[in-house]
Amino acid sequence: MKMFDAPIAGANYSADTRNYPWHRPPDLVNYDEGVDYLIQKMNEPQELELVYALLDIDAHISTIVSSLLMQGISRGKFSIDLAILMAGPIARYISILADEQDIKYNMGVGDEDRVNITPTSLKMALGILDSDGEEETLEVLAEVPVMQEGGLMGAPTGDDVAASEDEQAAMLGMVEEEVESTDELA
Amino acid sequence: MKFQDAVKKSIKAFMNGKSPQATDEMNEGGIFHTPAYFDELEEQMLSDDGKEEIVDEDV
Repeated sequence: MKMFDAPIAGANYSADTRNYPWHRPPDLVNYDEGVDYLIQKMNEPQELELVYALLDIDAHISTIVSSLLMQGISRGKFSIDLAILMAGPIARYISILADEQDIKYNMGVGDEDRVNITPTSLKMALGILDSDGEEETLEVLAEVPVMQEGGLMGAPTGDDVAASEDEQAAMLGMVEEEVESTDELA
Repeated sequence: MKFQDAVKKSIKAFMNGKSPQATDEMNEGGIFHTPAYFDELEEQMLSDDGKEEIVDEDV
């Protein structure tokens, strides 16, 4: 649970409610007037271009609708409640526009846009998986030293700790080094 | 529920032929932009396109 992901209690009493358009009564309160306004706005060349461009890049209709509605809400044209009611007709109208232009569209209201979370997708999202990511991980694991018993300063234990007799003799200089013959060089 | 989720829910309901009942009852003549209205509009707009195409072919 997020402890601080909420407004401070009583913040609404201390805020100036006339600062933003959505704090004032909306311009449109009628359902049909609101839908008419949005359809007319969408028929403006600039808005129409934007809608077609978004459909061309495979944006979901629900995303386009919510962005159009958010725009209207932020300008104080209609309330959030009315915007949610108008979402259906606007989506339907955009689908008709898409059909008219033979643009394939996705409503984006089903579960098909839900991304399945798998270990691989999670690794990719976190940026810890690339083409040779597994090899790197294995190398890193191989280099990890085994912790000694008794902590870092503990005495080494195990069979491989002590050097073999030959190694010890070599370390003490008790082995005669082979002298390379110089005949071959001559 | 987030705004985006509410919008999706509203679109889903409208596409299934449902329209806001309380709003419909509140308006004197009922609401104008019903699913049936958009079905008619779709037929009209798509058939208009067909006519335009025929005209273009003649030209």
